[in-house]
Amino acid sequence: PRHLSAIGESGQIKRSTLDEVRERLRYLSRVRREAQQDVVVDLDARLELSRE
Amino acid sequence: KDWDDDVEESDMNAIDDTDGVNPEAEYAAWKLRELKRIKRERAAIEEAEAAHAELERRRNLSEAERK
Amino acid sequence: MGKDEYHKADAKALLDDRGYSGALIRGQNPALLFEKGVRDRITESYYWKEQCFGLNAATLCDRAAELKFIGGTTGIMGKPTPFLCLAFKLLQLVPEKQIILEYLNFSDDHDEEEEEVAKSNADDAQEGGSGEDRNGVGNRDGNGTTSGIQDPNALGKLGEFKYLRCLAAFYIRLAWQPVEIFTTLEPLLSDSRKIRRRTKEGFVLTYMDQFVDDLLTKDRMCATSLWKLPSRANLEDLEMLEPRESALGDEVDLLDAEDEASDGDVQIVDSDG
Repeated sequence: PRHLSAIGESGQIKRSTLDEVRERLRYLSRVRREAQQDVVVDLDARLELSRE
Repeated sequence: KDWDDDVEESDMNAIDDTDGVNPEAEYAAWKLRELKRIKRERAAIEEAEAAHAELERRRNLSEAERK
Repeated sequence: MGKDEYHKADAKALLDDRGYSGALIRGQNPALLFEKGVRDRITESYYWKEQCFGLNAATLCDRAAELKFIGGTTGIMGKPTPFLCLAFKLLQLVPEKQIILEYLNFSDDHDEEEEEVAKSNADDAQEGGSGEDRNGVGNRDGNGTTSGIQDPNALGKLGEFKYLRCLAAFYIRLAWQPVEIFTTLEPLLSDSRKIRRRTKEGFVLTYMDQFVDDLLTKDRMCATSLWKLPSRANLEDLEMLEPRESALGDEVDLLDAEDEASDGDVQIVDSDG
């Protein structure tokens, strides 16, 4: 499985730093924002269609 | 997602956790909760003070009795 | 590399009492903050095995951002919620304080970055930034209509991922010291965002402020008995805590007036004693 290769053979996970956590949260926040924008864009497009 | 398999989507979606749908009502509801907390905190302080006063009274009483 | 830089991918070391050599919480193995039955059901659960294996403090955010409800165990089998499994993961990781605070108060500063960019590009393009703002939380400028509160907790600006915020709050209640618990969690009492909570029977609606209040006042939450916290009044007496200031601020005075009007026999205690 994918997750096993990520941790190597030792079965040990590298502890993450504060910066890595912050970076991860920024990334997740961006992903979510973009997903929300897509919904809006999608809605707009559908409204356009229905007007035609 | 199989780890959620016993979660009925409809059951979950019956509870809407979207924020900001009606900001005025949401704020008013929060304010009510906060006021209840403040009242509870004050009641606790009054209770503690009453207990303290009662303790004082008893001590004075027993001191008077000893004389 | 020091041994502290790594942790085990699974919970074997955590659950092995004799072999446990990790961080202690109030002098004991953090796993013991959960009851044995609950621990067993967590480590047997599919979510724990498949979704929590090998997480570290950063990748745990991926799972936490997907959370749709909080809760303890459900159904007759006492199946643990993903929320509870992730809380158990945190007890395994015992992340440093700053990381827990990041979970609790994370705020994406993309607006500010855009602002800076906008400023530096001010000469070439005047209109660049304004269109973006509408898609955001919209509370940077739009604070006037609903309340006079400027508290970033109240606006949901802090703790952007609300279920991650719940998770951090729950962990703090279990793992930190009393004074820290009060000073760190009480600001969340102005966060009125809706929280979906799973109970044994189904789902109910609660709120961030309500959940935090429960953590501070109840002795059992999310299938976990909360260790007894000294009372707030007690810590105030010892001068370890200042009295709590409500985010309601001046509006509390209205409550005073109301009390005086309604029942004259109740003495209103002035707080300057």
